[in-house]
Formats: sequence, C-alpha cells, structure tokens
Amino acid sequence: MDIRVTAAAFDPQAEAAGFAAGRHDMGALVSFTGLCRAASDGKAVAELFLDHYPGFTEREIARIAEDIAARCGCPDLLVIHRVGRVVPGEAIVLVAALSGHRADAFEAVRLLMDYLKTDAPLWKRETGPDGVRWIAPRAEDAARRAEAEEA
Amino acid sequence: MPRLVFLGKFRPLAPPGLDRVEPPSTVTTLNDLKLWVGGEAPALGAALADMPCKLAVNQQIVHDLSRHFHPDDEIAFMPPMSGG
Repeated sequence: MDIRVTAAAFDPQAEAAGFAAGRHDMGALVSFTGLCRAASDGKAVAELFLDHYPGFTEREIARIAEDIAARCGCPDLLVIHRVGRVVPGEAIVLVAALSGHRADAFEAVRLLMDYLKTDAPLWKRETGPDGVRWIAPRAEDAARRAEAEEA
Repeated sequence: MPRLVFLGKFRPLAPPGLDRVEPPSTVTTLNDLKLWVGGEAPALGAALADMPCKLAVNQQIVHDLSRHFHPDDEIAFMPPMSGG
C-alpha cells in the first residue's frame, strides 16, 4: 500500500512502472490516471486548485484504500493525489493495483476511484473566464458510489 | 477555545480570525457552534445552510451534532468532497 498526497507534479507512467517493478509474482497491473482538462462544461479552465485537510486527507484515503484492498483481495494499491495548483494536462490522480489476475485489479481501481470522487477529503476549485468556481460532486459520481456500497 | 478549520468553499467565506474567536458560553454543542459561526459570518452561514456539511472533531468525522465540544478541540467544517 503506497498512499501519497503531494503538491508536486508527477509522471503517472513512471510511477506505475516503479510500482510494478520487480513484482514478478503479479500477473496484472491496472492503473487509472485522472487528468486536468482545459475545458469543463463548455468553459475554459486555466487551472484547478485542490484544497485538502493535511493529515486527515492522507488518513482517509489510506482508510478507503485499505477497505477496498480487503474487499477485492488486492493488497497492492498505489494512490497518488495532487493538492494545490494543477494546470491542464497534468495528472490529478493516479490509482494502480497489482494482482495475480486482472479481475481483482480492475475492480480495485474502479472502486477506489468511485470512493475517491465522493469520500476523499479534497475540494476542487476551477479558475476560468468567469472567475473561480468550487466543484460540487456530480450526481453520477454519487450514484456510482452508492452502487459500490451495495456491491 | 476550539480551533476552527474551514475547508473548500467554506474557507474563503470565513473572515480572518474566526478560527480563533471564543464562542459565548451558551455555545456548547457542535450544532450550537455551527449556528453561531453562521451568525458571525452571514455568507458562511448561507453556504452552511445551502449544502451538506460534515464536521470533524480532532480529525474524526462526527455525525451527532448534539455532541458537546471541548475548548482544546479542533473542529473542521467540510463541504461535499470532490476528489479524484
């Protein structure tokens, strides 16, 4: 389990490769990278800012990851989440899972993202042509989170 | 006095110094505190009334707002989360 909350830009491909390096006991590496887009809801985005609660944010993400690791039988998880200023094209989040076979790793990554969207103590603010706008969780994210809870 | 932390959308609505203002002695529960904070800063109060707000005491989420707080508690006000 490797959980990091960082204000520094990172290279998701290099991080995923490093996470899997030497793990010859594993048959599957699944990773997801969330990127900062240059437009949202038809409006330009100059930058994102992610507010967080130092200490609490890291612990809650670790708690979510440990719960999903147990549910999926997939203990080897990596989460890197940016905080602070993020510009279009940069990675916001990387989630990766290693497992013996692909099904567990796919499921762990999907569930982790569903939970991070609604349960990780992070708050996104977009800066665009009309000024700043705090992002509310999308209804579809809440619906996926509810489905994950029932699964 | 408790230390108050305002996160996300609530952060810029909290006037400077509100995090270290002593609430009156009649403010004893988390719900009292939430209402008092809203009265001290109307824009923040409107946001608190407008959206779900989770409270954390000493970095533990608390759902029961009838709970009493202690003078050395750290109490965080959190709007809906939007990570990932």
